[in-house]
This record gives sequence, C-alpha cells and structure tokens, in this order.
Amino acid sequence: MFADLYNYLNIAEKIFAILGTLIYLIFALVVVKQVGTMSKNVNDKFNGILILFSYIHLAMAVFLVFLAWTIL
Amino acid sequence: MARSKDLDTVAPDDLIISEEKIDEKVVVKKNITPKKEAAKNESNIGDKIYNVLGHTKHSLSSILVKPDVFTFEERAEKESIYLVARPHWFTNVSWVLTTLLLVVAPGLLKFVPIITEIPVKFQFLGILAWYLVSFAFAFEKFLSWYFDVFIITDERVIDIDFNNLLDKKFSEAKISMIQDITSRVSGVSQTMFNYGTVFIQTAAEVPEITLEKVANPEKIIKVLQILREEEERETLEGRVK
Repeated sequence: MFADLYNYLNIAEKIFAILGTLIYLIFALVVVKQVGTMSKNVNDKFNGILILFSYIHLAMAVFLVFLAWTIL
Repeated sequence: MARSKDLDTVAPDDLIISEEKIDEKVVVKKNITPKKEAAKNESNIGDKIYNVLGHTKHSLSSILVKPDVFTFEERAEKESIYLVARPHWFTNVSWVLTTLLLVVAPGLLKFVPIITEIPVKFQFLGILAWYLVSFAFAFEKFLSWYFDVFIITDERVIDIDFNNLLDKKFSEAKISMIQDITSRVSGVSQTMFNYGTVFIQTAAEVPEITLEKVANPEKIIKVLQILREEEERETLEGRVK
C-alpha cells in the first residue's frame, strides 16, 4: 500500500514539474516576443545581444521541460 | 501758398532703389539660405547641448548626446536626435544586489539539513530552475531600464516606457507645445547622485510627460530651454521644417 502511495506521489510530482516548466516555457516565449518588439521600437547597439540572450533563455526553458520529462 | 500733399516727392528721406535691384537681392538670398542655414543652426544647437551635457555616447550610458547608432520606430526621416536619457545607473543597484543574492542562495542551502533528504534529480532540476528564474528576473529588470527612454529630437520630446514585459507606453509632445517644466530631486540617493523626476507640462493631447529618475534633471531642463528658444526663433523667422 505504501509502495502504491509512493508511486502516486512520484507521478504527481512529475506532473507538477512538467506543468511548471511548461508555464515557464510560455513565459520564455513571451520574453522572446517582447524583446523583439522592444528592439523594433528602440534600436541601439546592444539589441542584438539582448535578442541572443532571450533565445538562450528560451533554449534553457525547453531543456528544463525535457529534463522534467526524462529524469523525474 | 498751397502745401504739398506728397512730402516725399519734395524732400525724400529714404534712398530710392529700383524694384529690379531689390528683386535680384532677394533671389540671391533665397538661393543661399535653406540648406546651409538649417545645417548651421543644427550644429549650433548641437554645440550648445554638448556644452551643457558633455560628450557621452556609450550605449549603456544614462545620457546619450547626439547618438550615432540609436534610433526609434516612430522617427521621421530627417528628424535628428539630440538627446536620449535613461533612468540613472544607481536605480539598477537594488536589482543587481538582489540578483547576486539569488545566485548565492543555492550555495547556502547546503547548510539546511532537510535538503539532503530530497532526491538528487529533484535537487538538480530545482537548482537549474532557480538559476533560470534568477536570470529571467535580472534580464527583465535590465530590459525595463534599457528600453525606458526619453528622447529629445529637433521637433519633439518622446517618452517610451516599458514598465514590465507586457506594458508599453509611448507619449510625445512637440517642443512648441511645451508650456512648463519642473523637476524634483528628493531623498538621500537622488540628492547624492543628482537624479530625479522632470515633469513636462504640455498643451498637447498628453498633458504631462514625466521622466522618472533621470540623471542631471537641471541639465535636461536647460537643453529643453535651448530647444524651445530655437523653436521660438524659427517661428519668428518663419522657418518651418
């Protein structure tokens, strides 16, 4: 019985982790979109670097979803 | 004796110049003025602004004077940018310190005994998520500072605000529409580092443009004064861009 409970808890943790990382992924997509809009509105020397950072952030968010899916 | 009605024909005061000659002079003057005079005026204003604010052109500076690279979407074709102002650098100190704390925090968790009970895979994922959120926090704060710009061009003042990632505000007013400018420097940090808020009252649709936490407010007011004087001179001389 305790083994079953442990399994259910594990599944619940995994679902919560995946949901959390998916929400974060949506946030990362919003960041990419917003940085693009901001850069279009105000253009300066560092805009390219900021866009690059927003994409790195998005890649990391995708990696996080992947990790939550695989290692948990 | 009958008095002459037309006294100028009896004793003319002014030099009589034939109409043809006057026309020639006007034509010659018209050929010289427009482009050269406009360029001269622009460089004069540029010099005056340099005298007030100095030469600061680094992209991460709080004040950019006549920037080379900087531009914005709503800019008109021949509109020249005289000044770009962002909030003072000191306004970034609080979020930089918070970010440093966020970065150091997972290292301190080693001293909490309950942490060792959590499985390693959860710890790994948690720490990775923590650093990602920390990065997002710092990135968002930097973006809010970097894209929060106040622009003074030869024709208008523009305020672009990105309060957070989902809120953009754009307001502009023609320099000729500016009615009153006031500034406020309050608090210890603002007094020490000389930054504050500038309120620009306008007769335009946007009644007030507020520049928050901007560096050297008194110098920005001076620059606006120079441009307002120039605008008034343009109106008097009938020069319209």
